[in-house]
Amino acid sequence: MTLGEDTSQPRALAGDHPVFIARGLSKVYGSGDACVYALRDVDLEIRQGEFLVLLGPSGSGKSTLLNILGGLDAPTSGSATWRDHELTGASDADLTAYRREHVGFVFQFYNLIPNLTVRENVRLVAQIASDPMCPEEALELVGLSHRLDYFPSQLSGGEQQRVAVARAIVKRPDILLCDEPTGALDADTGRLVLGAISKVNAELGTTTVVITHNSAIAGMANRILRLSGGRIAREELNRTPLRAEDVTW
Amino acid sequence: MVNVLDIKVLRDLWAMRTQVLSIALLIAAGLAVLVMSVSNYLALVGAMDAHYRTERFGDVFASLKRAPNSLVERIREIDGIGVVEARVTQMVRVIRADTELPISGRIISVPPSSQPALNRLHLVEGRWIDPARRDEIIINAAFAHARMIRPGDAIEVILNGRLQVFRVAGTALSPEFVFATRSALPLPDDRNFVVLWASEDAVAGAFDMQGAFNDLVITLGPGAAKAAVIEELDRLLIPYGGIGAHDRRELPSNRLLEDELAEQETLSIVMPTVFFGIAAFLLHVVLGRLIEAQREQIASLKALGLSNLPIALHYFKFVTVIALIGAGIGLALGAWFAVLVIDSYRAFFRFPALEAHLAPWIVALAVLASLLVANAAAATAVYRVARLPPAEGMRPQVPAVTPLAQHIGVMSERGIPMSYLMALRTIVGRPVRTLLTISGIALAVPLVLFGLFWFDAIAHMIDVAFGRIERGDAFVTFVTPVPARALHELRSVPGVLLVEGQRIVPARLVAGHRSYRTSLVGLSSQSELKVLRDAALASVAVPDDGLMLSRPLAEHLGLQIGDIITVEVQEAKRPVFHLCLVKISDDILGVSATMDIAALNRMMREDDAFNAASLKLDESQSRIVWQRIQAMPKIEASSVKALWLALFDETIAGMIIVGALVLAGFGLLIAIGVVYNSARVALQERAWELASLRILGFTRREVATILLSELVFELIVAIPIGLTAGYALIKFIVSLRVRESFQVPVVIEPRSYAMAALVVIAAAAASAFVVRRRIDNLDLVAVLKTRD
Ligand SMILES: Nc1ncnc2c1ncn2[C@@H]1O[C@H](COP(=O)(O)OP(=O)(O)OP(=O)(O)O)[C@@H](O)[C@H]1O
Ligand SMILES: [Mg+2]
Repeated sequence: MTLGEDTSQPRALAGDHPVFIARGLSKVYGSGDACVYALRDVDLEIRQGEFLVLLGPSGSGKSTLLNILGGLDAPTSGSATWRDHELTGASDADLTAYRREHVGFVFQFYNLIPNLTVRENVRLVAQIASDPMCPEEALELVGLSHRLDYFPSQLSGGEQQRVAVARAIVKRPDILLCDEPTGALDADTGRLVLGAISKVNAELGTTTVVITHNSAIAGMANRILRLSGGRIAREELNRTPLRAEDVTW
Repeated sequence: MVNVLDIKVLRDLWAMRTQVLSIALLIAAGLAVLVMSVSNYLALVGAMDAHYRTERFGDVFASLKRAPNSLVERIREIDGIGVVEARVTQMVRVIRADTELPISGRIISVPPSSQPALNRLHLVEGRWIDPARRDEIIINAAFAHARMIRPGDAIEVILNGRLQVFRVAGTALSPEFVFATRSALPLPDDRNFVVLWASEDAVAGAFDMQGAFNDLVITLGPGAAKAAVIEELDRLLIPYGGIGAHDRRELPSNRLLEDELAEQETLSIVMPTVFFGIAAFLLHVVLGRLIEAQREQIASLKALGLSNLPIALHYFKFVTVIALIGAGIGLALGAWFAVLVIDSYRAFFRFPALEAHLAPWIVALAVLASLLVANAAAATAVYRVARLPPAEGMRPQVPAVTPLAQHIGVMSERGIPMSYLMALRTIVGRPVRTLLTISGIALAVPLVLFGLFWFDAIAHMIDVAFGRIERGDAFVTFVTPVPARALHELRSVPGVLLVEGQRIVPARLVAGHRSYRTSLVGLSSQSELKVLRDAALASVAVPDDGLMLSRPLAEHLGLQIGDIITVEVQEAKRPVFHLCLVKISDDILGVSATMDIAALNRMMREDDAFNAASLKLDESQSRIVWQRIQAMPKIEASSVKALWLALFDETIAGMIIVGALVLAGFGLLIAIGVVYNSARVALQERAWELASLRILGFTRREVATILLSELVFELIVAIPIGLTAGYALIKFIVSLRVRESFQVPVVIEPRSYAMAALVVIAAAAASAFVVRRRIDNLDLVAVLKTRD
């Protein structure tokens, strides 16, 4: 299978019922006059299988929101639930289990383990998942079957990021959270990575949230949220999402 | 304006405060040993010199049977003689109500109205004797202390078979009895041996020595030839029963003292060198890793255009602060432990003034040494890092992709958990660093083991000396040689189970220009209560004829089996014999000269004569036994094993144990410094990676396992190496001991090995605990931001 098939069909079906529900989410750093609102009273619902893009200027609270959704950070107030999991106020062990079983992460800086090979980086996650796909399969999905025994330092940035995607999806996560996955990549490489992400969304039906600074990428989404000053400033629906290779940078 | 890098120094110091402290402690431990051993050595030497000088300790000593005082004038005329002090001295017995055991003593005459010219007394309590009263006496302070005798108390002394009651005028210290000991014992026997100083009239009167003397103390004039003086003295004294003049070296107290000091001197150089050397090496490892963990920062600074010099200066400031903290703590600890150790010496070394003293040059040396070592460590680490082009430095340090590392991948297919795989990759990917860390941990082990070793060595020596060699419960000596009949008499005392006679002959052994004063011991080959043993504890048979010497003594005299040796007996008629050395023994007691008792008797032209005996007693009847033995006039002195052991526990054991605990404590500090730092640096280097794993859903425990399995691996390799190195180090240090009296065995019990290993493992466990807590508190979000 090649990247960039027509994936619009499954996405159109997405959005039946919300899997994520956030109510009145706020995140405040500091206190008193010096306090900074990273998020202000955000209400949000994300539906099963949806491809959601978060846009917004630097400092607008995108990462903060994503981290709360991924169980990496706790809001100052408000609530966030994923299906029947209450994320706010959950213990570290519960959040760890949540991430382990349900969440796949892709970050701007790949976050690969330098002394494990490509295959091992993926197997690392497969080993702790309950129903993983086989690592080679995940790597094939991102087009890296020919680099299985390379160490991260022997790969290009784009290749490393695709390993990160493979690692995120190998456990068949319910949600894929990506924070500027193409931030460090050039257009062509970025497209490859985005293709891999959208393919996962399309073929596995994985609910996907992608943060980006690049509004062109937003063309791929079912829905686009624009954040500004810690609030959702605008919401757009996209009835005809673009395929990754049609995205122009 | 404050230099921004200086702010970074302070921030770094504060951020890494526990690591900074543990590194400082590493330096401190090394320094403390240096400060402690050097100041203790200087304190002892200083105390000895001052005591010998102030109290005018003699250079040459001579004993004889009896000579008229007029002879003193002729002695003064000998070329090279300085001051001559003639006196009367005898062995006496003292009776005390608080013990049924015999107490032996030495009484020495002093001028009634003034201090003697030589070997003066340092009065501790009371006053000089009243010239008008013949019953006043001064006793040695150690005995007074042990038996709680104060000036004004009465003391009963048997002089020449007659009981006489004296009144104690004062207590004193004498340079002649820094260790108050009967010649045979290598320990001060403060409870059962007393030195008494009484007026010339009283002593001479009691022993029919009016107008005569039997002992001389002499100092030499400037530039005098000692050997010539001794020879001339002997020529003059032989007609009066002289038994050979000798150097002060051969006085038991001084010999023990000089041996001890010589040993302290070696140890005060070797021990700190070993400790500080190891600490310096560890500092190198630890600081090296700490600085290397900052390689990305260093590279960024360079990329910003900073040259190597300010960067290096930055780290020099960083380590200088650590070194100064370490030096401060080290000096304080060293000074404190010096006081502790000196205090434990006081029961052993009786000096008027023995004070721990921290010389300014030691302080300077300590500070300088720590600055030097710390900055050298920083310099090499900074050089290693700063040498890299900034681009390379800014990239995270990736383990080398070696064939071995690749090969490890095969293991992951076989189901080895990925966490072990990651640890293994780190270990083989950076072999040099792994080796350094392992040797660091390994080197902490010997230091702990070295402290613990002394406990084993002491226990072993006691076991061997009293369980295997001296197997009797008590030992008595006779005033003059007695026939076998006297032994039967002893044997017939109820409660005495076994008696074995010995003949002990004081003698000077001469071989060519070398000589040694010791006692020739005549033993029966069937002897059960005294059995010579070699290092393997096998009994050493006494040859039927001829002389047997222990190896150190044979070596001292330069003798080999078959050589002829001259034996100058220093008793009665002072006969001289020539004996053949027939056997060299590996006797673990150090110096010994032994013959078959029958052969010795034949040589001395005595039949069946004994002047000492080992006894086996029925402990339940010992009271009665001692009452009976006290009453036997021929018995001069006696020692009881149980008492001796108690005494040993109080003095030597106390002294060694304080030292051993201090050393083990420093070893522990060093172990903590190394293990804690390598665990912390490993965490620092990999915090990002571990946080990434946490984000992927790894639990705290799983993540900790990855990091800690590295530490476990290092420990598993390091500890056996450390234990082996410990054995080697101990063997080396023991071989430096110059003692003639007792060979310290290199005996290390499994328990001590286990303890040393456990101490290091405990340090590791504590470090692991801290690291685990840090892992638990890793800020996942922050880690995502700082990476670039
Ligand atoms: N640890 C913190 N302490 C104080 N303020 C913080 C902290 N983390 C984030 N902030 C603030 O919260 C706000 C939101 O940060 P966030 O990282 O969510 O922004 P973002 O939208 O992801 O920006 P970017 O596009 O630059 O990644 C910012 O104003 C930031 O300064
Ligand atoms: Mg962000």
